[in-house]
Amino acid sequence: MGNAKVLELHGLTKHFGGVRAVDGVDLTVASGEILGLIGPNGSGKSTIVNLICGLFPLTAGRVLFGGADISELPPHTRVALGITRTFQNIRLFGQLTVWQNLWVAQNSGEQRKQNFLPRWLGGSKGARAEIDRMLEFFDLGHKRDELAGNLAFGEQRRLEFARALAARPALLLLDEPAAGMNAEEIEQLDSRIRKMRQNGVTVLLIEHHMELVMSVADRIAVLNFGQKIAEGTASAVQSNPVVRDAYLGTTTGA
Amino acid sequence: MDDYLIGVLSNIGVISFIALSAYVLLLTGEISFGQQAFFAIGAYAAGIATALWGWPLAAAIVWGAAIGAGSAILVGVPTLRLHGLYFAIATLAFAEMVRILFELLRYQVLIDGEWVGPNGADGFRNIRYIFENDISSLQFMILIYAVLVATLSMFLLLERSRLGVIFRMIGEDETLAGLQGISVARHKVLAAGIGGALAGIGGGLYAHLTTYIEPRSFDVMLGVHSLAYGLIGGLGTAFGPLLGVLIDIGLLEAIRALAGYRMIIFGGLVAILLIIRPRGLLDEKLVHKIGRMWRLILPRGGRVKLGPSGEKI
Amino acid sequence: MMTTSWRFAVIMMLAFMLFHPQTVLAQVRAKAEVDCQPAAEKLQYDCIIKLTNSRTNEQLAGFDLMVGADMPSMPAMHNVRPVKADEDQEKGTYKARIVLEMYGDWALHLDLIGPVRDRVVKVLRFERDRVGEPTSAQTPAHQRH
Repeated sequence: MGNAKVLELHGLTKHFGGVRAVDGVDLTVASGEILGLIGPNGSGKSTIVNLICGLFPLTAGRVLFGGADISELPPHTRVALGITRTFQNIRLFGQLTVWQNLWVAQNSGEQRKQNFLPRWLGGSKGARAEIDRMLEFFDLGHKRDELAGNLAFGEQRRLEFARALAARPALLLLDEPAAGMNAEEIEQLDSRIRKMRQNGVTVLLIEHHMELVMSVADRIAVLNFGQKIAEGTASAVQSNPVVRDAYLGTTTGA
Repeated sequence: MDDYLIGVLSNIGVISFIALSAYVLLLTGEISFGQQAFFAIGAYAAGIATALWGWPLAAAIVWGAAIGAGSAILVGVPTLRLHGLYFAIATLAFAEMVRILFELLRYQVLIDGEWVGPNGADGFRNIRYIFENDISSLQFMILIYAVLVATLSMFLLLERSRLGVIFRMIGEDETLAGLQGISVARHKVLAAGIGGALAGIGGGLYAHLTTYIEPRSFDVMLGVHSLAYGLIGGLGTAFGPLLGVLIDIGLLEAIRALAGYRMIIFGGLVAILLIIRPRGLLDEKLVHKIGRMWRLILPRGGRVKLGPSGEKI
Repeated sequence: MMTTSWRFAVIMMLAFMLFHPQTVLAQVRAKAEVDCQPAAEKLQYDCIIKLTNSRTNEQLAGFDLMVGADMPSMPAMHNVRPVKADEDQEKGTYKARIVLEMYGDWALHLDLIGPVRDRVVKVLRFERDRVGEPTSAQTPAHQRH
């Protein structure tokens, strides 16, 4: 592990028609790091997440994961390699139960082998135990047979987080996980993200909730109009005049 | 048992297969107007196998299923890249193409002084297996239901298996399924193959039930019905499409007064149900509720028992 | 999952093969001439059916003959209650009154039950005032000469 680079973005560019949603972004995430990605609305943060998980093709640039170029791979292959994500607006399989939502997300190579055999042939034992642990950790054990669509908002957020971890990711992309949460829930989220890092998961955190980002992230990168305008520790970013301009909307240092 | 009842039950059994075949694709969120093509392919393949090649029935049905699955996969690979309406139209076009090809197909062999085999638009007569082997209509009905019960048990296993859950997740949100690491294309082609095999089995049984098939039997009317069965019966369980078949052939048939207007009433019923219950009578929510009640009555060993509000007991 | 299905498939096939009887060559192969005329009531037709054994051209008498019908354009979806045909004095001639559900092409199923069982299928077009050839009927080339 050490300081090996998990994710490298080289000149990442995505244009939608004439809109330069992401415009030549270079970014590196080291193993075991929590990198915060912030920026005003429409600055291209979510597009970057979508590009990393392969939702649409790049206009230019490359995405490297563990040193290998994954720019051309389809989304499901990237999951198998170890990249998972959550969504800004929660996306669960509402017609499946909580338990099933986690079961079908277990798609690392090893888990697939485990889940291939039916239960009565001794398959998926380990995978099932893993789900139980996950439900316990996210305090969803009592909802395991509930349809995901019937859960309360906070529970849905937790389930989404759990599901992103179900495939044993090396890199977790969290797209505004604190949106709509109260202070207590954000505190829990904070500790869960830290716990994830202890377990060796690298995290790319996109968040509007500054308190959370400043507290949990090792480094922060700031986007504006699809370009990276700053990168560094929380305090360095906070005192950066370019960043202040971007957020306050002024062009001169006010 | 009365001949009429045997006839109706046999028909319900045979049509159930094509209803299940459309249902598999509905699970993955695809609407196919072309399942009748695989029903036709299965019917012709199995009919040719027994009537022209002298195969035993079992082998012929399996052969029909295999050809049905194979052609469904061949069609599925290019067409399943299309979505929604485009896929529906592509399947419809394919099915019509198959029907017209059967109108051109002439493959007859002189057997015992009579020409036997598909004869273009005139159809394929004398698939006489059940008469030559002295299988009564009751025996053949039992055979149909034996195969149907076996198919249904496989469906119940499928729905509890990971594959079944994956079909449902693709049906609900295929982009999201891809982002969970599921190869959507591969699973859809697999679903198409299963659907093709089921339609093929149904076709093979149908050919031997009526002893006579002709291309126009396999037009879009049959395809629309097979889709409608799943949509009215419900997409929550494999019993849904069977309920749909029962409602159409069983219930509406039983109301003799409706005779000539049955199709109009059936169409209206489908339209109304799609508005008030878009996922059919036995939809996922209802099936989940029933399953939950079932578990409360009969908790399985090792499982955490749940109280009504979800607390551990 | 695949293993489960395969086991089932194998068991089913074995069961299937076991109770599959051996093929015997039929001694009788029925052939029928059917002539239907509209009866007094709407959608009712009186049919005269002449049965012969196509092997020997002998008239086939003494059978129980059930006449059913299916609509080729809607397979297995219209179930007409089969009626038993009455045997006429003339040898090999049977009479039946059938009641259909709508006008159009119907495939009549003539089921012979007797010393041997057989089925003959005849497709006819049933209209309000006449019964004729179905729309798709063409005489196959090799049967013309």
